[in-house]
Amino acid sequence: MNTTQILFWFLSGLALVSALMVLLSKNPIHSILWLILVFFSISGHYILLNAQFLAIVNLIVYAGAIMVLFLFVVMLMNLSKEKEDQKNVWMKLSGIIAGGCFLVSTCNVIFNAQVVSKELAGKTALLKEGSIGLIGPLGKALFNDYVVPFEISSVLFLSAMVGAVVIGKKD
Amino acid sequence: MNAIILSALLGVVMMFSGIVLKSKPAIVSTALASLVLLLIGNLLETYGIFSIRVNTHDMLDFTKFGYFFNTLAIAATLLYVILSGKDVIKVGNYPADCFALIFFVLCGVSILSSFNNLLMMFIGIEIMSIPLYILTGADKKNLKSNEASLKYFLMGAFSTGLMLMGIALIYGASGSFGIEAVKLANAVPGGALPQAPILDVIGLMFVFASLLFKVSAAPFHFWTPDVYDGAPSVFTSFMSTIVKAAAFVAFIHLFENKATEMGNIWKMLMVLTIIATLLVGNITAVFQQSVKRMLAYSSIAQAGFMLFALYSRNDMAKEGILLYTVAYSVATVGIFAILIKMKDYTFDGYNGLAKTQPLLAACNTVFLLSLAGIPLTAGFFAKYWMLASVVKAGGAFAIWLVIIAVLFAAVSVYYYFRVIQSMYFKEGNAETTEISQGFKIGLLVMAAIILYVGINPDGLLQWFYL
Repeated sequence: MNTTQILFWFLSGLALVSALMVLLSKNPIHSILWLILVFFSISGHYILLNAQFLAIVNLIVYAGAIMVLFLFVVMLMNLSKEKEDQKNVWMKLSGIIAGGCFLVSTCNVIFNAQVVSKELAGKTALLKEGSIGLIGPLGKALFNDYVVPFEISSVLFLSAMVGAVVIGKKD
Repeated sequence: MNAIILSALLGVVMMFSGIVLKSKPAIVSTALASLVLLLIGNLLETYGIFSIRVNTHDMLDFTKFGYFFNTLAIAATLLYVILSGKDVIKVGNYPADCFALIFFVLCGVSILSSFNNLLMMFIGIEIMSIPLYILTGADKKNLKSNEASLKYFLMGAFSTGLMLMGIALIYGASGSFGIEAVKLANAVPGGALPQAPILDVIGLMFVFASLLFKVSAAPFHFWTPDVYDGAPSVFTSFMSTIVKAAAFVAFIHLFENKATEMGNIWKMLMVLTIIATLLVGNITAVFQQSVKRMLAYSSIAQAGFMLFALYSRNDMAKEGILLYTVAYSVATVGIFAILIKMKDYTFDGYNGLAKTQPLLAACNTVFLLSLAGIPLTAGFFAKYWMLASVVKAGGAFAIWLVIIAVLFAAVSVYYYFRVIQSMYFKEGNAETTEISQGFKIGLLVMAAIILYVGINPDGLLQWFYL
C-alpha cells in the first residue's frame, strides 16, 4: 500500500464518517460543521485526481460561502434547539425514493466504468496524470471554445446588478 | 450578432442616460432612438450589408428565421415603447434603469433566436428572466408588486435549477452541450421503437418542464395570474408578449433538433400538455372579474395554441409561430396600452367606453377580435396556421387535438366579447386618464397591422422569405 492508497482510503473513510455524522447529529450547527469536513475530504479527493483548481474552488465556494450561508439561516431561524420535529410519512417516503434514485444512478455509472468498459479498473487516483483539472487548460477552454458564453454572461451579471440597484436604492 | 451586441451596449447607454438626462421624456426619446438603431442594426445583418463578425465556435447559429424573429421582437418593443413609454416612466423612480433592463431582455431574446448550444440557451433564458423579476417588482411601494416579484423570482429560480439539472444530465449522457438529436442507443434499422439513453430522456424532461414554466403552460402555470396581475401593467404587457414569444422560439428550436425521434410517447405528452393548458387558461378566464387578470389567464390559453407548433415541428409551424408572434404581441400590447389608461380594471370599468372614447373602443375591439381568432384579423390566421400545421404533421391525435382547440377557441370568444359588450352595450361612464393624439395614432397603426396581416398573411411571410 503506497501513500496514495493510504490517503485515498483515509479520505474516503473520513468523507463517509462525517457524512453520516451530518445526518446523525441532533444539533444543526454540528451538522454544518461535519458538512464542512465532508467538503474538505472531497477536496482532498480532487487533489488526488490531479484537479487542484476544482479542489480550491470547492473549498472556497462550498466550505466557505455556502456554509456561511447555511449557518446564517440556521441562526436566523433559531433552529439550534435540540429538538426534532416528527416529519410526516410521505415526506420520509419521498426522501427515500429521491435518495434511492440518486444511489441507483450513481452505482450504475460506477458499475459501467468499472465492470463494463473497464476504464477505471484497479485505479484509485490519477496523480500527475491528465491536465483536465488544472487552471491552465481550464483558462484555455474558457477563452477559446467557450469565449462567447463567457463574455455574454457579463450581460447577465450586469442586468442582475442593475436590478439589485433598482430594488435596493432608497427612494 | 449585431442584435446581441448592440442591445447589450444600448442597455448600458440607457443606464447612463439616467445620470446625464434629467427630464423623464428625454429618456423615453433616447429609448426610442436606441430601439430604432437596434432595428436598423438587425436589418443590416439580415440583408448581409454589415455585421459584426465573431467566431462563436458553433455556439450560435444565425439563421433567417432568427433574424426575422429579432426584427419582429424589436419592432414590437418599438411599438410598445411608442404607446406605453410614458407609462413606464411613471413606475418607480428609475425609468432609465427600467429601459436598460428592457434592452437586456432584448439581448436575451436575440440569443434565444439563434442559440446552437444548451449553454447559450441557458444564458439566453437567464438574461431574459432576471430583468423581468426586477421589472415585476419595479413598483416598490405597491405590496402586490412586491409579492409578485418575490413569487416570480423564487419559482423562476427553482425552474432554472431544474433546467440546469436537465442540461447536466444531457451532458452526462451525450458528452456535449450541442443541440443535436438525442443519440439513440440500440437503434436497429427497421427494428422496434429505438430506445434513447435514459439519462438523455430524463434530462430532456427536466428541460421540458422548465421551459413549460417559462412559457406559462399547464401544469406549471400557477405563477402566471399572480405575477401578471401584481406586476405594473406596463411591464405585464411586455412580459406576456415579446418575452413569451421568445421563450417559445427557444422551446421549438431546442425540441425540433433534440427530440426528433422520441415517437408516440413524446406526442402523447405534448397532447396532454396542450389540452391541460387550453383547459386551465380558457375555463379560468371565464370566471374573472378583472380585465387584467382575465388577460393573464388568456395568455395561458394563447400559450396553449402556441404549443401546437411544438407538436407539429414543421415549416408551417415555424411560419405559424411568426404569425402568432405578430398577432398576439401587437394585439396584447394594444389591449394593455388601453388598460393602463383606464381608471378601473374591472369589466365594469369599461362600461360605456364607446361613448366617451370611440376610437379607443374601436381599436380595443379589433385587438380583442384578433385574440379570439375571428376572421379578417391576424389572430385568425395565426390560429389557422397552427392548426393546419398539426393536421399536416399528422399522428393519431392530430384531428382530436384540432377539434378540442376549436372548441376552446369558442370558449375564449365568451370572455373576450364580455369586454366588447361592456364597451358598446352597457350604460356607464368609463373613466380614462388623459389620452394624447400620438397615443391614438399609435393605436390606429397597430389596428391597421392586425387587419393587414388578417387580410394578407402572405404579405408578412413573403417578407420573411425575401
